[in-house]
Amino acid sequence: MDQKSLYDTIDPEIMTRVNARQEEISKGASVNSKLAAALALGSIPVALAALTKDVFAQTPSDVLDVLQFALLLEYLESEFYTRGTAASGLIDAADMTIFQTITTHEAAHVAALKSLIMGKSATPNPKPTFDFTAHGAVAFDFQSGQYDTFKALAQAFEDTGVRAYKGQAPRLINDKAVLTAALTIHAVEARHASEVRRLRGLKGWITGNSRDDLPAFTQGIYDGEDNVMQGPVDVSMLSLTASNGGTAAATQAFDEPLTKAQVTAIVMPFIASA
Amino acid sequence: MAQKKTLVISSADQLLEARTRRDFLKVIGVGGVMVMLPTALAACGSDSTTGPKPGSGNTLTIDFANGDFAVLQFAYALEQLEADFYTRVVAGFGGSNLSSGEQGVLGDIKNHEVIHREFLKAALGTTYGFTITATYPGVNFSSRSSVLATAAAFEDLGVAAYNGAAQYISSTDYLTLAGKIVSVEARHASAIHDLIAPKTGAFAPQTFDDAFSPSKVAGIAQGYIVDKLAFANAPSTFVQGPNNNG
Repeated sequence: MDQKSLYDTIDPEIMTRVNARQEEISKGASVNSKLAAALALGSIPVALAALTKDVFAQTPSDVLDVLQFALLLEYLESEFYTRGTAASGLIDAADMTIFQTITTHEAAHVAALKSLIMGKSATPNPKPTFDFTAHGAVAFDFQSGQYDTFKALAQAFEDTGVRAYKGQAPRLINDKAVLTAALTIHAVEARHASEVRRLRGLKGWITGNSRDDLPAFTQGIYDGEDNVMQGPVDVSMLSLTASNGGTAAATQAFDEPLTKAQVTAIVMPFIASA
Repeated sequence: MAQKKTLVISSADQLLEARTRRDFLKVIGVGGVMVMLPTALAACGSDSTTGPKPGSGNTLTIDFANGDFAVLQFAYALEQLEADFYTRVVAGFGGSNLSSGEQGVLGDIKNHEVIHREFLKAALGTTYGFTITATYPGVNFSSRSSVLATAAAFEDLGVAAYNGAAQYISSTDYLTLAGKIVSVEARHASAIHDLIAPKTGAFAPQTFDDAFSPSKVAGIAQGYIVDKLAFANAPSTFVQGPNNNG
């Protein structure tokens, strides 16, 4: 039997208690000492296994919540690019193919997510009204002459999208079809992010927690990207890291997830007040 | 809007297989593209091959009874291949016609792949670790176009491999780790395609990236690996991604 059908039979209240216990365990001394013992034995596989959750928390309602959350992000991107490519004189003619490509993808992602949601017998949430000035923080209204701002916002949205999908993947672990679909979108967002960053004269990958030239209010998009602890391994301390780009490369080599709450805090300014 | 398909051909023999021919017709029918990996031409015989023949070495078995470690081992084989490839590319900068900007991109990617490899080596430990031998039939390390085409093929394959293998991971921690790596591979793929065809849609040629089954990935990767790749207790089911080509 697969995990999902098992969870269907469990009382949600029991699941809540299991989750609470899981959190205690994950913070508790018993697991930490097990991890310490495993590390003392020099067995990293055992140490990684000790970190592994012994209780899965994913439920079918998690999957729907992830899909609706992803839909919100795709609505944001889709409207941004659709309006951008339609705006006269905003995008440099030489770059139009790039942004038309992204526009097509985001519209298709919206459609795919809606279809996945309806496949779960649910109704896709409606598109909210967006405010691409982030409540006045950015001087931007799709006008000619604002191309640099358009590209900066595009980078902010794409780098956020990559981290958002990554953060939700564990909640999809028991729904392989949705997990795989989400990952194939996640990778396309990463391709977009790399292209937009390169178009702006940056590297396609994120170094440390640098937001580069983006305004300070976007820092939440990059916080935590300087992490070097991958499982129990500090990748900045691997013997070959120093001769292969050092800590900077070690942070570039791994993109980091964001929680739903972190992503929501980033996205909220772009949703118009009711 | 019709989905643009890519068909990857890694050996000349593959062109003669019925399934490939069907895929070919499907792909061409929707205005897609066919990618000929350098191995496809190398296998024709006239091209000079460097190093031992792919698959001619000892058998390297990845046993899926080991659960998540098997997925990590699979990733480790691919990361070893990528790291070795870019290390050779960087070592050959002096004799190649890659621009300094391109060398910067490839040098960064080399660093990332070496770190991915070393991370997986540490994570797998001596119990599950192994070393593969890579070989590059048909690849000309002093040719910009050959290096970039091979790099693009490796990066696209890496993305499809992680996307397809994720469904076999049972730990949320490993799933997140795979996610942390795959998006960087996708950033690489985008950058390489952008170097090959700037200002086009080549950086992201599909609405959804591919998700390939481990056996499909192994079939393509085998073209560059001397060890004979084998699976034991391989999963009998594969959940397709939106492109339905895994």
